[in-house]
Amino acid sequence: MGLFTNKFQDNIIVEKLDNLLSWGRSTSPWFFQFGTACCAIEMMAAAASRHDLKRIGMIPRSSPRQADVMIVAGTVTMKMAIRVKKLYEQMADPKYVVAMGSCATSGGPYWQHGYHVLKGVDLVIPVDVYVPGCPPRPESLIEGLLKLQEQILEERPLTRKMA
Amino acid sequence: MTENQQKLIDELVNKGLDGDMDAVNAHQDRMVRAKAKSMIMKIQKGILKRPPLKKISPEEVPNGDIVQNQEKKENKQESTSAKVVRKLLEKFPNEIENEEFDSHIQLKPDKWFEIATWLKSEPELFFDSLQCQMGIDVQDDILESRYNLHSMKHNHYVELRIAVSRSNAKIPSVEKIWRVADWFERETYDMLGIEYIGHSDLRRILLPDDWEGWPLRKDYQEQETYHGIIVPKMKEGWE
Amino acid sequence: MGVVHGEEMVLNIGPQHPATHGVLRLQVRTDGEVVSKITPYMGYLHRCFEKHCENVTYEQVIPFTDRCDYLASMSMNFGYVVAMERLMDIKVNERVEYIRIIMAELQRIASHLLCTGVFGLDLGAFTPFLWALRDRERILDLFELTCGARLLYNYMWVGGLSHDLPVGFVESTFKFLDYFEPKIDELENILAHNKILVERSADIGVMPKDIAISYGVTGPNLRASGVKWDLRKDDPYSIYDRFEFDVPIGQGLKGTVGDCWDRFYVRILEIRESVKIVRQALASIPKDGDVHQSLPKKIRPPKGSVYARTETPRGDLGYYIESDGSPIPYRLKMRSPAFTALSVLDEIGGGWLLSDVLAILGSLDIVLGEIDR
Repeated sequence: MGLFTNKFQDNIIVEKLDNLLSWGRSTSPWFFQFGTACCAIEMMAAAASRHDLKRIGMIPRSSPRQADVMIVAGTVTMKMAIRVKKLYEQMADPKYVVAMGSCATSGGPYWQHGYHVLKGVDLVIPVDVYVPGCPPRPESLIEGLLKLQEQILEERPLTRKMA
Repeated sequence: MTENQQKLIDELVNKGLDGDMDAVNAHQDRMVRAKAKSMIMKIQKGILKRPPLKKISPEEVPNGDIVQNQEKKENKQESTSAKVVRKLLEKFPNEIENEEFDSHIQLKPDKWFEIATWLKSEPELFFDSLQCQMGIDVQDDILESRYNLHSMKHNHYVELRIAVSRSNAKIPSVEKIWRVADWFERETYDMLGIEYIGHSDLRRILLPDDWEGWPLRKDYQEQETYHGIIVPKMKEGWE
Repeated sequence: MGVVHGEEMVLNIGPQHPATHGVLRLQVRTDGEVVSKITPYMGYLHRCFEKHCENVTYEQVIPFTDRCDYLASMSMNFGYVVAMERLMDIKVNERVEYIRIIMAELQRIASHLLCTGVFGLDLGAFTPFLWALRDRERILDLFELTCGARLLYNYMWVGGLSHDLPVGFVESTFKFLDYFEPKIDELENILAHNKILVERSADIGVMPKDIAISYGVTGPNLRASGVKWDLRKDDPYSIYDRFEFDVPIGQGLKGTVGDCWDRFYVRILEIRESVKIVRQALASIPKDGDVHQSLPKKIRPPKGSVYARTETPRGDLGYYIESDGSPIPYRLKMRSPAFTALSVLDEIGGGWLLSDVLAILGSLDIVLGEIDR
């Protein structure tokens, strides 16, 4: 930065490769629409015309192999938990997970007597952002995704981590 | 308490329970009014049973339409449940187990398949759609399977119940008569463990195939883990 | 030349699939592209609704009923409340009845709009889906004006409602209805009479009358097969007998009676009938009345059981409630219409191509939350 400021014309930008890579990743994460229950309808409404998800760079993909972010929207049950793990493993690195709604965060309204409900999807896969609500409004989901984008912006993919 | 007064109170109580509190409030005798109101309260709480309507002779009655209402009510109650019972007793005696037929008919499980075939094809009853079939765990070691039948032609309903014991919970399946019973019976098997003899494919439908236990029984204990995942609510201090 | 038969292939249309309306697994046996047997596997969203109902009080059951069929929560609440009021012999006042009907019919319009849009999406048309969702957002705005929530309302309580209509609701609804009626014609033109959609859905998945009744199919699916059965007319609950509306049935305009196109078209016609009912209800709603008037202090129904049915956008919803005199239900069973609609898939889906199977599934309009409870 410091050595190269104001040394070139206006149409040349100098930047660290790290920052460039994380800027590129954060502004176009494609999401894997994994909707199970009521929150899936709010996710669909967030991707529709009133609250548009494409304006923050997110496109819905139906296959985990083409997606970067998995939005777990809705209750995950025991029968489904095994499949969730498989789908997570099918995504390519770098991958992120957003737990949308209170069912995916901690079991939701079914935490007390639900014998078949998984109490939070973080029991099977690692989660980056939790969006609470039952169901969260599309604006809340968009805020959660923007926070995720901030998180990705701060990563340094090429820097060697300290042991 | 004379018998006439008792009959009057019974009739006022029935009117009040059907929504007509003005008849109770308009009666002149204060004691009869008070007794009727307290009976209504007790019945609504479930402490007392609703008294059956008895016929009052016309001399004791202040206005004549009470007798007509009674007759209409009894005719209405006769139509579906009692009609079914009357016809059942002609064709299949000894299969009914209860005495009052206001809400349901209790049957024995042995000849259920034949009775069901007859109920569907008999022209005056013609129950061609099974609306709802469910299982319930009544206490004292008894499981019941309840059927709500409906006829689209005559637009009438009836409810049938079959009770079996927990250790030997087997009921004939009616899957071949009403095709919708296929999945309903699988669900009852899944939740309560009642086996339906003659069902073509009786296996769990909602829970995974290797789940242990029958969840809707009153003494169900959840299993500790399922494929390595913890099942019951884990953190203390969430209450 | 004969037909070449290969080996049978077992294909898994898995629990995660963009076209299965939720988490449903279909195991399909195919010979090339022609399907011979479909086996649905469900239970991936089984959230133990009936076990919860045995442990919480009667008032606390209402939010759980919302979440079963999340696309029509007002209708789910309505069914439960009708059953409880029949069990406890409570009569509500006129204003409450009119508001309930208005909310239920607006919910029916919203649910049918979504189903129509998603049917088009399954067959490849993306634009009508966005149009349908845009109009549905305006209905959700009206709901949010009344009770504060967009999707899961907890609005109808036993003996009344949770909130009264706010100031300006009647005018906003009239404005919405005037805006919306030409949009139904637009949607019908772009989807229902579209050549591609007609080719992909007419004469496919025909469901004859006797199979429909025997499998317990109700609602628009049954009406599309030619049976004129609507609970709002044949077994009226609440004050539906005061309104004038038609019951549209399938007539096989583009193919056979009871095919996918009929099931799709009946829903568009029902949207128009619901608009009529809402207009009539808004014109004659009583101006005064307290919505909290008949709320019981503590819900303790007498011992006994009740089975009550109401008409939701998907069919006949039945609640069987058994009470033992305490404030907690002893047993509550929900008979869901989508459960029986899914069971008929194997019967009408055999013999078609693989992409037709998804068209048939889309026309049946299932919601997994209601099937698995």
